[in-house]
Amino acid sequence: MTGKLKLPRFRSQLPILVGIIVFMMIVLTIISPNFLKVQNFSNILLKIGIYILIASAANLIMITGNLDLSVGAVLAFSGILHAYMCKHGVPIPLSILITCIAAMGWGVFNGFIVGKLRIVPVVATLGTMYIAEGFAFLIARWDGGTNIMLGLPGAYTRLGRYMMFGKIPVIIVFVVIVAAIFLFIEKKTKLGRFSYAIGDNRSAAELSGINVTKVIIILYALSALLAGFSGILQSSRVGLAAPNVGRMMETYVLIVCVLGGTKMSGGKGSIIGVLLGAAIIGLLENGLNLLGIDHFYQEVARGLILIIAVLAQKSSGNGRN
Amino acid sequence: MSNDVIIEVRGLEKEFPGVRALKGVDFDIKRGTVHCVVGENGAGKSTFIKILTGAHRRTGGSLKFNGNDFDPKSIREAMNAGISVLYQELNVVDDLTTEENLTLGKEKSKFGFIQKSDGLGKMMDIIRSLDDSIELDMPVDILSVAQKQVIEIAKALSTDCSVLVMDEPTASLSEDEVRRLFLTVKKLKEQGITIIFISHKLSEIFEIGDYVTVFRDGEMTGTKSVPEIAGYEDALGCPDTFDDKTITDACTELVRLMIGKVIDQAYIASESDYSQKLLEVKNVSNHRLHDINFDLYKGEILGFYGLVGAGKTEVGRFLYGIDNYEGDIFVNGEKCDYKNVIGALEQGFAMVPEERRVDGIFGQLPIRANIPMMRMDSVLSSGLISRIKENKLADKFMKMMSVAAKDREQAVAFLSGGNQQKVVIAKCLNRDADIIMLDEPTRGVDVGAKEEIHDIIRGLANEGKSIIVFSSELPEITHLCDRIVLMYDGSIGEIVKNKKDIDIDHIMNIVAGG
Repeated sequence: MTGKLKLPRFRSQLPILVGIIVFMMIVLTIISPNFLKVQNFSNILLKIGIYILIASAANLIMITGNLDLSVGAVLAFSGILHAYMCKHGVPIPLSILITCIAAMGWGVFNGFIVGKLRIVPVVATLGTMYIAEGFAFLIARWDGGTNIMLGLPGAYTRLGRYMMFGKIPVIIVFVVIVAAIFLFIEKKTKLGRFSYAIGDNRSAAELSGINVTKVIIILYALSALLAGFSGILQSSRVGLAAPNVGRMMETYVLIVCVLGGTKMSGGKGSIIGVLLGAAIIGLLENGLNLLGIDHFYQEVARGLILIIAVLAQKSSGNGRN
Repeated sequence: MSNDVIIEVRGLEKEFPGVRALKGVDFDIKRGTVHCVVGENGAGKSTFIKILTGAHRRTGGSLKFNGNDFDPKSIREAMNAGISVLYQELNVVDDLTTEENLTLGKEKSKFGFIQKSDGLGKMMDIIRSLDDSIELDMPVDILSVAQKQVIEIAKALSTDCSVLVMDEPTASLSEDEVRRLFLTVKKLKEQGITIIFISHKLSEIFEIGDYVTVFRDGEMTGTKSVPEIAGYEDALGCPDTFDDKTITDACTELVRLMIGKVIDQAYIASESDYSQKLLEVKNVSNHRLHDINFDLYKGEILGFYGLVGAGKTEVGRFLYGIDNYEGDIFVNGEKCDYKNVIGALEQGFAMVPEERRVDGIFGQLPIRANIPMMRMDSVLSSGLISRIKENKLADKFMKMMSVAAKDREQAVAFLSGGNQQKVVIAKCLNRDADIIMLDEPTRGVDVGAKEEIHDIIRGLANEGKSIIVFSSELPEITHLCDRIVLMYDGSIGEIVKNKKDIDIDHIMNIVAGG
């Protein structure tokens, strides 16, 4: 009884997303001669690769009915920390390891305040976002500048610019691995099943003996780990680290998840949806770029898409509560 | 005291989709009296109040207010006609002062600045007449609950209210505050205001009530004057206060009206092994319970029975590690010290919660995913969820409990209430716990499914499980349970052994406080 406007009901919205993607590709092929080129696709994949890496874990957090707004800041913090250590003589593999652990620290911190202290996730992770970004600026200051570029060892960019078989960017390889891992977590592990249960009915999850706090802490740690690793990859690819590179990343991740059919209130969503959502965002940005449309119109388009995606979710009415 | 009728109810009906909440109710409420309304959950008293106050529209019958037909379309319309409600949840804003609370929503502003309100003087007069310790500039958060109620009452009365509905006003009050509220009620009555008083605490009726109406299953089962209920021919020979014995007898009479005739369903004893004591609870107390002592044997079905608010659910809550308590719990003779649900589960308890939608089901997940949730081990193979095992488990329980669903992939939210309850019970049974607690196992479940659930419970007991059933349905308790713990006001009144022709009157007497 939600008014007269009724959209067709699908068991999942994945077929609709595939339809949208095919439609966008047809339209872009017709209007832009540059669309169907390998270089262009490679650009799109590089761009959305980072979104997917981070969104895969952030998506599970959203499935529990929570949210992680600190991913962008943790990404920036990790890039800076990694660059700083490499510049000051820490071997690169060791620096990667330390950075990943530090990044997970932010996640455990998030998980503790959200899961244990029961602070609203928007507020808690917003706080973490500011703290982590503050530290990113602080580390850059220790180094004596606003960002870290000069003086990095030559091997610094080796990871980020590595091409598998000489042509597949390493980030794509990681996207495939991470997506596969999260597909596995979703379908086959207790962690995945409990995430859905918590988002569906937290009280019932607690009364069923699920350790809700533990699940939430693990998920935030995973999300921060992937944000941190993405920060390392990104900074390694461009050969510089800046404390403000992660800004707005959290909103992209949010859009990708929501577009992919993940319910903000929890209980529903999938990694497949995240992949498709990211593809839509990638195609949209690419299309607008190819058409030479100004940057600020792109922002408008992104905002509209987010709202439309949430509206579409609402009217497709999943579940009765 | 003039005795004319202010509210006349005739054949009042209310039908919700699938449920007849009121099935033709007749009674009168007399002007200037305190008229109590009682009944168990779902009996229809809230529906009646909601129709009277404009929250619901009636679907049949008539309602007259001051002799005119009365069919309010909104709460505001009822309020303007002179019927106000004091809700259980108070609407005062703690951060504001008394004055600001009184004028809330009625502020007069000039150029955006708030001016003194006209009605304030009148409301202040009302407050002074009820409780002279409240000052205008007092912040509301330092006032007691009873004082906050006075502020709400003053707001209600300032709109020329002639009928005040009080919805369980004593539910969150201390003994002292109850006295103060009753004083307020008496003063309001002196001012000629008619009060409709809803309470689950039956003994309160004999302190402030003039009349009482009892609801059961959407019907009115009795409207009597309080002296009449207490056994006096008329008000003349009746004392101002009653002695305890009279009150208990009268409460028993009310309980009888609330519960009705208990249809004798044949009780079949379980194969309990009274040599093996599984659970012993000693001297447990907490904020809602006083000195709880009972034990449970292997293969026994123990029932907890009492009226709403007697503390049944609270017993389940402390046993399941949700609420804190003082006292001792022994399982198999050993003292337990678990402090949360996970600990209780490890100790061998499992529970089917009272509110399945709120605490039981995972509505968006399929039946298959719901069932193993309390013991994932049952569907793991080398640490990972096995779809084959999950399907087998789901098929086994769906067959055993005859769950009516399209298939095991159906989301639980789309099942009927009875089938949802079966899924919640299946989830709990899969835990394979030794002590299974079921809180209102058949609430909102149709007759057929009810019978099936009862059979399952009895089957479990015969397999050697120990069962605790909390229920507000006496027939369910006398049908199923081997021993019955009768609760009243957070305490155990008596533990009786069930038998074929158990003395229902005695049970009613105990749960009424006797």
